[in-house]
Amino acid sequence: MNLYQPQLMRIEEIVDETPDTRTFKLTFKDRNVAAGFGFRAGQFGEYSVFGEGECTFCIASAPTRKDYIECSFKAAGKVTAALRRMSVGDTIGFRGPYGNSFPVDQMKGHSVVFIAGGIGLAPVRCVIWNVLDLRKEFKDVTIVYGARSVKDLVYKRELEEWGARKDVRLVQTVDPGGQTPDWKGEVGYVAAVVEKVAPRSRDAFAVVCGPPIVIKLALPVLAKLGFTDDRIYTTLENRMKCGLGKCGRCNIGPVYVCKDGPVFTAAELKELPPEF
Amino acid sequence: MNELRELARKLLGDGTVKVVIGYEEGPRGVRPAMITDPAQAERLVFDARCVHNLATYLNPRRPHLARLGKPAVVVKGCDARAVAGMIRESQVKREDVVIVGVRCGGVVRDPTMKAALAPETVSPRCGHCASREPKLFDHLLGALPPAPPRPAGDDPVARVEQMPLPERWAFWKEELSRCVRCHACREVCPMCFCAACVADKSRPQWIETSSTPRANLSWQLTRVMHMAGRCAGCGECTRACPSHIPLSLILAHVARHVERRFGYQVDDDPSIPAPIGAFKTDDSQEFIL
Amino acid sequence: MKTKCISRADLAALVADLAAAGTEVVAPVKSRDGRALDYRRIGRLEEAALGEVALPRRSLKELFLPASEVLLRYRLEKDDVAIEEVPATFPPLVILGAKPCDAAGVEVLDKVMGWDYRDEPWFARRAATTIVSLACPGVDGVCFCSAVGLSPDATKGADVLLVPAEGGFVAEAITPRGEALLASKRFAEGEMPVEAQAARAAAKEKVARNLPAQPTGFHDWLGERFDHAAFKDIAQRCHGCGACASVCPTCHCFDIVDEPEGLDRGARRRNWDSCATCKFTLHASGHNPRATQNERFRQRVMHKFSIYPRRFGEVLCSGCGRCVRACPAGMDLPEILGQLFRDAGGAR
Repeated sequence: MNLYQPQLMRIEEIVDETPDTRTFKLTFKDRNVAAGFGFRAGQFGEYSVFGEGECTFCIASAPTRKDYIECSFKAAGKVTAALRRMSVGDTIGFRGPYGNSFPVDQMKGHSVVFIAGGIGLAPVRCVIWNVLDLRKEFKDVTIVYGARSVKDLVYKRELEEWGARKDVRLVQTVDPGGQTPDWKGEVGYVAAVVEKVAPRSRDAFAVVCGPPIVIKLALPVLAKLGFTDDRIYTTLENRMKCGLGKCGRCNIGPVYVCKDGPVFTAAELKELPPEF
Repeated sequence: MNELRELARKLLGDGTVKVVIGYEEGPRGVRPAMITDPAQAERLVFDARCVHNLATYLNPRRPHLARLGKPAVVVKGCDARAVAGMIRESQVKREDVVIVGVRCGGVVRDPTMKAALAPETVSPRCGHCASREPKLFDHLLGALPPAPPRPAGDDPVARVEQMPLPERWAFWKEELSRCVRCHACREVCPMCFCAACVADKSRPQWIETSSTPRANLSWQLTRVMHMAGRCAGCGECTRACPSHIPLSLILAHVARHVERRFGYQVDDDPSIPAPIGAFKTDDSQEFIL
Repeated sequence: MKTKCISRADLAALVADLAAAGTEVVAPVKSRDGRALDYRRIGRLEEAALGEVALPRRSLKELFLPASEVLLRYRLEKDDVAIEEVPATFPPLVILGAKPCDAAGVEVLDKVMGWDYRDEPWFARRAATTIVSLACPGVDGVCFCSAVGLSPDATKGADVLLVPAEGGFVAEAITPRGEALLASKRFAEGEMPVEAQAARAAAKEKVARNLPAQPTGFHDWLGERFDHAAFKDIAQRCHGCGACASVCPTCHCFDIVDEPEGLDRGARRRNWDSCATCKFTLHASGHNPRATQNERFRQRVMHKFSIYPRRFGEVLCSGCGRCVRACPAGMDLPEILGQLFRDAGGAR
């Protein structure tokens, strides 16, 4: 058994979040491994289709929920296309958890603002559930989430749940032109909506994830609202292979994204060469 | 050489081109140079160590070179065939490059060699040289030197061709066992310009990427087949191979087949179509019927 | 650690002893056309070409990190997958006549291979292998091992260092594994007049002249110089071919792929890869963070001379010069380093 050998997982449930984004719910085939498995919010794994290869996704479920893990993906390349061809009951491989995590313990006693765009909600979702499962330990919880259009919003079931909670402020938005006639949420780019919602930065952390443009536009808005770079967390979607710091692919400047990340503060990101 | 430097100064100075791709003296021997400043034109050299085929730098998928602007490129006769190939196959427009042809008397095997041109040092490809004066050019420089010496030893292509098949198979299996799939052969080749090489395609994975006997053979044979009727015979792939696999032998072998079947040799006239891009009604059909 | 000596005849007998005991022996061997050397398995000492100035074409790296290595095999069953593990131990191997720069390179790679997660395939091969270095009799104009803290008779990474002597070699055990090898009766106690001292001293002098030593603090200095002017057009002539990485003793980047070996089974392999290639950081979306060769070459220099040393305390280069000799386009790392050293030294 070497460090590159994956655990076998059974696909328990498949949910199509959007026409191109799918979520798998996975359980370990080996009960002993399942019993001993734990992870922290923000960590990722290498998911494989035997015969096609491995690819990297964050673990999209929360560590507070045992017995299963979830991942969400778009079919963008060879392995994700193969994953998409799989059915409930099929076996895939999983190696992990790898990487660092969001400092959930540090965030206790503070407010948390979650900002996400498109499929970027996946890595943030694990922290959201982690926080909501321990709701009393946090002050205000604000979620601003947007996508290109209504059909591109992921985790629609969760969005309903979060929206229904009294102890969460959820603001959903779609890009101008992406709304449907019965759309009740905001219309506007995520960063603009964050500015409108103006979450308080005192005693607060921000967690931002999404396509590069969403992050790029959100950071100055957060700065304007008074968030400091060391209180803003994001996760880097980088091309990774081994996930354990050996193959060299994810090295950017002095960091290895798979070891020093994928969770970074805005301050740490600004220190990195623009090679991500 | 002065002729070359003068011309480069002029072409850069009056803005005809923005970069001259030629040869310069590096710390260990001759190497390619990209000159953008007319004052630097004196770095340009041309002698028997100018082995490199500079045509490969015209590949449009080298953005850090393409952004420099319109190039002039220094070519020997063999290199001109590669430029012609890139023009023929629409990678470069004829009017977008200034071709500076240089009359050539052969080159040594290795641009860092200090030894003179002799049968022991001459590049194997110069043995069959039929194009010491490029016919594709905007400028043609230099006096015609004497013909290159014939490489010492027997014709390596003929030697392999004469091997009985089991011996030939054993020869190639051993040579290809050293292939580590670095793809240097592809990267230096002017005619390997595909934006998505078949070896890089993953859906489906036509050619496995691992260094195994099956995958190495698959890669090398595919590349050789893709070069049939296109290979300029510059030998750069062989020179680049860090494992010294004699790739030129099989490419030359295929070129001889193309010549026998289609009466075609890769030419530096871009208007003459290659067999892969054209057909004649009297083309051999024995493999179909 | 005691010094012993061994005659050439006894060394030949030692090779025979090892072969008889099922230990493989690898040594530099002349290529068929006589123009090059390769590290190859030998059956008899006569097959080896020991003590050449020239380096074997490729390094020792591939004996520990093969160009393609199976990590596991899998069989697809009805609703399940059966994983077949690959052997976790390897037969004993002795590398005889290794270049000191190559031995050093292996030890440098131990750092990343042991970083938090232990790379079992790498260390299993390490555990089975004894490296016997042979001090270089000379160097060419490219070697620059002294610039990175090594020398033509360096012992880093070696279990035993052989030094040419009259009629044979003086052998010095560097590690317990080396001591175990020297316990063989083929080694004799006592002295042998060490040969070619003048030549070896000349080699040390020459390699130091080829490139001066790194200035102190170079790795940190370079780490702050991402936008240094030297990198701007550094790779105009570079083809991004990856030949340099394949011959380098310390380049270790790899890819992981699944390849079929039948309709329902296959192997997951790791294969050599290189940051010099344009596809190394290419995302499925088409975005490439290192879009031109200049950025990719900068990454190569940075990883070797700043990132790796700052993290692991080792330069990711053994100064062997193969990258210079292998490069078809005349890229010259010592030349680039010389410029950077001068700049860094001048800043003091």
